[in-house]
Amino acid sequence: MSKNLILENLSKHYGSLIAVDNVSLEIQPGEFLCFLGPSGCGKTTILRMITGFEEITSGKIIYDGVVINNVIPQKREFGIVFQSYALFPNMTVNQNVAFGLRMRKVPQKVMNERVDEILGLIGLRGWESHYPSQLSGGQQQRVALGRALAIKPKILLLDEPLSALDAKIRIRLRTVIKRLQEELGITLIYVTHDQEEALALADRVVVMRNGEFRQIGTPWEIYKKPKTSFIAGFVGISNFITGKKENDRVRFGSRLFRVFGIDAVESETVHLAIRPENIDALLPESLAEGLIPSNIIETTVEVINFLGSVVRVAFMLEDEEMLVDISEKEFERRNLKRGDKIRLYFPPDAFHVYKELFRKLI
Amino acid sequence: MPFNSSGSDVIERYTVSPLRMEIDRFVVPAVTLFIALLLFFFMLFPLLAILKLSFFKGGEFAVANFTLANFQRYFTTAYTVRALWHSLYVSIVTMIIVTVIIFFFAYGMTRTTIAGKGFFRNIIMMPLVAPSIVQALALIYLFGRNGLITAHLIRTEWSIYGPIGIIISEVLYCLPHAYVILYTTLSAVDIRLDEAAESLGATPFKVFTRITLPSARYGILSAAALTFNLTITDFGNPVVIGGNYNVLATEIYAQVTNLYRFDLGAAISIILLVPSLMAFIFNYYISRKTFSMISGAAKPVIPPSRPLKKISFTVFCSLISFGIILIFVIVVLGSFVKVWPYDWSLTFGHYHFPSIAGYSALWTSVWVSLVVGIVGAFITLVAAYVMETRKPLFKQFIYLLSVMPAAIPGLVMGLGYILAFNKPYYFFYGTPWIVVINTIICNFTLGILSGISNLRNIDPSIEEASISLGGDTLRTFFRIIFPLSRVAFFQNFLYFFMRSMTTISAVIFLVSATVHLAAIEIIMLDNDGWTASANAMCTCIILIVLVVLGLLKIVSLKTGGRRTGLTAEV
Repeated sequence: MSKNLILENLSKHYGSLIAVDNVSLEIQPGEFLCFLGPSGCGKTTILRMITGFEEITSGKIIYDGVVINNVIPQKREFGIVFQSYALFPNMTVNQNVAFGLRMRKVPQKVMNERVDEILGLIGLRGWESHYPSQLSGGQQQRVALGRALAIKPKILLLDEPLSALDAKIRIRLRTVIKRLQEELGITLIYVTHDQEEALALADRVVVMRNGEFRQIGTPWEIYKKPKTSFIAGFVGISNFITGKKENDRVRFGSRLFRVFGIDAVESETVHLAIRPENIDALLPESLAEGLIPSNIIETTVEVINFLGSVVRVAFMLEDEEMLVDISEKEFERRNLKRGDKIRLYFPPDAFHVYKELFRKLI
Repeated sequence: MPFNSSGSDVIERYTVSPLRMEIDRFVVPAVTLFIALLLFFFMLFPLLAILKLSFFKGGEFAVANFTLANFQRYFTTAYTVRALWHSLYVSIVTMIIVTVIIFFFAYGMTRTTIAGKGFFRNIIMMPLVAPSIVQALALIYLFGRNGLITAHLIRTEWSIYGPIGIIISEVLYCLPHAYVILYTTLSAVDIRLDEAAESLGATPFKVFTRITLPSARYGILSAAALTFNLTITDFGNPVVIGGNYNVLATEIYAQVTNLYRFDLGAAISIILLVPSLMAFIFNYYISRKTFSMISGAAKPVIPPSRPLKKISFTVFCSLISFGIILIFVIVVLGSFVKVWPYDWSLTFGHYHFPSIAGYSALWTSVWVSLVVGIVGAFITLVAAYVMETRKPLFKQFIYLLSVMPAAIPGLVMGLGYILAFNKPYYFFYGTPWIVVINTIICNFTLGILSGISNLRNIDPSIEEASISLGGDTLRTFFRIIFPLSRVAFFQNFLYFFMRSMTTISAVIFLVSATVHLAAIEIIMLDNDGWTASANAMCTCIILIVLVVLGLLKIVSLKTGGRRTGLTAEV
């Protein structure tokens, strides 16, 4: 059974480069925790410090009340699933799964039972004597998962486990992992740069950037209340508007948007983020009853991206390209085409207001 | 807890053995220490003995004893100082010829669509299976004082002994070594660069001088440096075909064996060490740059070459191949012909070796080489694993020590071994075991480099996966890393085995009244006038190496069926 794991003022420096900068976190038993961030943010370094493959510059890692900084990886009994699967190519599925048990000198009979149990769990009974190179990518990652689970690890750590797989299999394996974690009640730490994956899987998400924790919260909180403009842009999609405060409104070019909650930001220049699905597409003839007139704009459809259940439409606002999501049904009903006029409403409570803007590199 | 229930309930009772983990902490330091001591004792210590004897009176290390007398004597004696110029002359000429020949040969193999590439490749690699004396023996049978061509077909007084003979034999000996480098370079440089230049309107000549040559420049320099090093340190060919034309390597041998002037031999060793060390360092520096130029991009197929290009490269490659084949045919044929070139009846007579050692030397060579092959391949793989994966303390220092042997001429190392170990308490001196150790150390560099490059092909996560599952160093190595390195192990075994069967210079000082080696027997037989028997011994060595090569090929084909790809594809 998993116990709680605490990171206390954890830092990792490589010379002058600070990979992880004084972070603290308590992970509850049985929790599914995701470290989410762009590459180079330090998420993998944290994982490697927990597994014991990376030395800790300062701070503590505490498992079940015991500081494990100097415990060798072999004795930590944490299961790890690697991005490259790292299956032993010279061993069969059976031998791969049994490896950890063999290292523990588990009696043959118990080992056979356990391996069989694991193969059932990962749905690979009948594949025992295959070599990894005879399996598909998805199957290989299941074996890697089973191999890590076979030793009954205290914690399961996964480092971008699905990024080498194609989209369909990725989503299917996501479900497998989530179901296994819930059935076994094991603490699971998951590292990914894929925000969709993090939101779909985690109980709690830790958003990282430049070696720091920028926001910790449930997927709901992270998505609905991104703490910084970086998170607003990184988790999900946001349109950004930079303007000047004028009382309770924000000036953007010739427009004056009414925005709730701008008092929280002291600076005169503010950055607004609004998600494409939070912009409402109004019917041309509909009355703007109860709507704030200054938040309604008239514009033309520039680019249409059909995404399935929604259609993402690009439009121009004061020479800046913005996106709005319209449901596929609504889109079809209106029969929108490129160049058509549309009326959009920016609800004053749909904006997130930030003091600083993170410039995306696109 | 019911024991017969599903396995999961009892798994928690088993943990990794704490004792094993305690022991494991000492494995890497112990192996590191072992490698360091091995190289200290069997490489630095003999080198030190040479330095001591050449710079200190009577080899006694003391400030008062410091002397340059040996060097003064060397540089003031016209005959000995000539050896240096001879060595440099021969090596530079060989270097130029080999580099030019091999560049075009490798170009033909990588950039044209000539037929028979597999055949040409096998032929160009052939000199590796024979001692570096086979070229000289064959050339003497063709162009010597009683040579088939010189004395009997055109009836001239001229013979090949001297610098020309040395140069031709060294060229034929160095070809495969230089080929490996330039082939790698030329096949790594993206051929699409050439196509891009052509599509922009460059003439084929412009493409060649502006694109092909510059992009291969590091490979060319590296091949040149290696050829220089191989030639200046070679002993077998010059001793047989050099005649009165002395070079540094033969001079060391003459001073030590004929004149018992160990101090002068040591001094000349130092003189030989300087250029070969320089060539090695240059090569080391260059080869680092070569690797940085290799692009990982997929390469498209070579466009069909124009007929004229195809014909000229086919003719050129055929000519070079013909030269190499001729060498081997003459030596093998010469071992069966009764009296070359007078009595052409065939006989096995030359295989009744007239010397004391004869076949026993051959058997000693075989078992010594098997031991060298297995132990050498294993030690270098372990050393590579510990250095590359476990990053022990002093890693850089150990690495430096393990690449050093390639810079030290075999003859110098051999002399160092006599000076250092010719003491009664070194029980291994005068036994075949000193040959085993010497050969492993002399070839340590290539073994460890290929070991390292092999390990770099193994996903580091595999190692970590094993550790996280409770695997200690020993079990990780033997259950995972070693099986995954099987191909590299076989290759290294073959390399050590071939070197051990064919090397002359490193062990010539180590054979004795009780220890005989086949490659050295060739020189002894030739020296005593039994040239045909020398050819016979050469043929035996070639045959044994080829048999082992074939066996290994069968073994790796048989076991290759098992799924042991490095990182499995998705």
